[in-house]
Amino acid sequence: MLEFSKFVVVRAVLAIFTLVLVSFIVFSLMELVPGDCAERYLAFKNSQGAVITAADIQAERVRLGLDQPYIQRWGSWIINAFQGEYGDSCILRLNISQLLGDKFWLSLGLCLSALLLAYAIAIPVGILAATSKNAVLNNSLRLVSYLGLALPNFLLALMIMLFSTVMFGDSLTGLFSKEFRDAAWSYERVKDFLGHVWLPIFILGWSATAFAIQTVRALMSDEIGKLYVTAAAARGVSGRRLLMRYPARHALSPIINSLGFDLNRIFNELPIVALILTLTEAGSLLIEALARSNDQQLAGAIIFLLTASIVGINFITDIILALTDPRVRRSIVG
Amino acid sequence: MTDTTNIDAAAERKLKEAYFTASQGQLIWQRFKKNKSALAGAWVLIFLILSGIFAPFLTPYDATIAGRDKDYMNGAPQIPSFCDDNGCSLRPFVYTTERSRSIKTNFRWVTETDTSLEGRRYVEFFTKGVPYTFLGMNFETHLFGVDKGMIHIFGTDSTGKDIYSRTLTAINTSMAVGTIGVVIAFILALAIGGIAGYYGGWIDSGLQMMTDTVRTIPSIPLFMALAAFIPDTWSAEARFFFISMVLGLIGWPTLARRIRTHLLTERNQEYVLAAQLCGASPAHIIRRHLLPSFTSYIIVDLVISFPYMILSETALSFIGLGLKDPVNSLGVMLQNVTSADVLLNYQWYFIPVIFFIILVLAFVFVGDGLRDAADPYSDSSK
Repeated sequence: MLEFSKFVVVRAVLAIFTLVLVSFIVFSLMELVPGDCAERYLAFKNSQGAVITAADIQAERVRLGLDQPYIQRWGSWIINAFQGEYGDSCILRLNISQLLGDKFWLSLGLCLSALLLAYAIAIPVGILAATSKNAVLNNSLRLVSYLGLALPNFLLALMIMLFSTVMFGDSLTGLFSKEFRDAAWSYERVKDFLGHVWLPIFILGWSATAFAIQTVRALMSDEIGKLYVTAAAARGVSGRRLLMRYPARHALSPIINSLGFDLNRIFNELPIVALILTLTEAGSLLIEALARSNDQQLAGAIIFLLTASIVGINFITDIILALTDPRVRRSIVG
Repeated sequence: MTDTTNIDAAAERKLKEAYFTASQGQLIWQRFKKNKSALAGAWVLIFLILSGIFAPFLTPYDATIAGRDKDYMNGAPQIPSFCDDNGCSLRPFVYTTERSRSIKTNFRWVTETDTSLEGRRYVEFFTKGVPYTFLGMNFETHLFGVDKGMIHIFGTDSTGKDIYSRTLTAINTSMAVGTIGVVIAFILALAIGGIAGYYGGWIDSGLQMMTDTVRTIPSIPLFMALAAFIPDTWSAEARFFFISMVLGLIGWPTLARRIRTHLLTERNQEYVLAAQLCGASPAHIIRRHLLPSFTSYIIVDLVISFPYMILSETALSFIGLGLKDPVNSLGVMLQNVTSADVLLNYQWYFIPVIFFIILVLAFVFVGDGLRDAADPYSDSSK
């Protein structure tokens, strides 16, 4: 037990250290953007007719704390970030946590559902593909996984849009119907939401599914030829019982470890898919922040949050693996 | 009887000898040849790359705004035919279109097609057209064209640019972006992975920590942030190089990890020790022993990472953060296709997508085939 809590603490410290490194990278990127917040704000005021002097800019810098040294500002940014506070957006002049609000959780929910869907499909199909000798099935699965690589999610989204527009005259975009877009949460709104949300989840999960099928299949075919499986079969265990009790348990535990990287892959696709399907959540906010208004505070906060959720997932999967996989547990307890 | 067995045995010995003395490259090629889908992928890939390189000759018009057809904007693909109501001809033809507005059309622009005998445009081969420079020489012969006016076999976009010409040039751009990106990723990975693997110890741990951190950050959002730094005043060429560099930064962490792992395992092998005991210098060991031990893996990794570069470029350009007109790439060509107008009326905007899926698939097949072929244990495991 003591070893286990030590393991958890070490993992937690490592995760926090990673986040601090990430925050340094993100913060430096934000700083690299030409022009700072004070200049932007005053440029905006200037466009409203006010006359701005160099002294005004300097005074604004002092007010925003931009005159302090780099390390100190990074320090205060990271301390605030860990408390869920990211300051104000330069362009929108709004508090970022308020601006993000539900949107971030909605995005995270979308991505996690996509991940779940990917593995809900990949695990049974992958196991089937590894055990089946059916050439047609195997070849068509190979084709699907190649297509998962060659047809990235955003091209798939485009193709689905093209197809549905031509066939049904509706492009299937958005997360809500018009009348529910700004309404409060209610039973009807949830129903409407569920009617729209399946498509983005499917599209986001598309390449992840293709990858996951490949992985499950490879891991499973490695395990299936091993002696302990033959031994179990010799003892009279057969069929699904044999697969589930012996090779599947071994093959699936490495997958838990790769969940974080799968989530990373889904996050990569999120902004572009969001743009195509006109989803109104953090992904499109990121596009907005980067492509249109060049809002470094907002972009930094979103990238930091995305990375933080990956680090969080990695931490959780490490713990789960240590709890469930006896091989990993042995290596911790020693 | 004995003669034939002797000859057979001799032939077999010769085969075995050839197998044992074959170089790494020959072995890989032998295994690669057996993989039918990879071989097919390689042929398709060569074909596409060649058609990208020879695009100026294969395409009838300039892919930039200079080659636009002002009489045929948002025009549907023109498929040459041999026969119509006015009879048949041995030479395939398309029709003349004209864009005009007058009081008859309520002053709106209308495209009219002239389907009479006079309106036929006959397809010709090796026509003289827009001059272009290839390998430092000037040419003006194009593979095909029509006797008068223009022909657009994939249709035209909203400004009248020929989609067929743009598609082939875009393959070129994608290959160029991918090559620069892969080279940059490779150099970074070789330096960082090489240092980590060669020195080991705390340098290795520190660099591993850094690589893993960079790997955790979702790369596309991060590089969207990087690409957003490009000032609007930059020229298209400057943008092109910056984007290629950014893509190079996407690829290095995975590669660096692989190089490090290879170096770490190979460094302690007995053959390295043997070489050291024979008095070989470190430079000699690295050049003659370590590098050949994993060049094939590196080449495979580079081929596999190529399609990711192409697709990332497409994604970045598609959202408007990557390349811009007049540089042609798939992402640039797809920039405006999400509008309902295009989806409903101008579906031929999507024709280039097919080429790119084939290009990426070809890369994936070749990469997979190479990976299997480069694995020295793939024969024994089967």
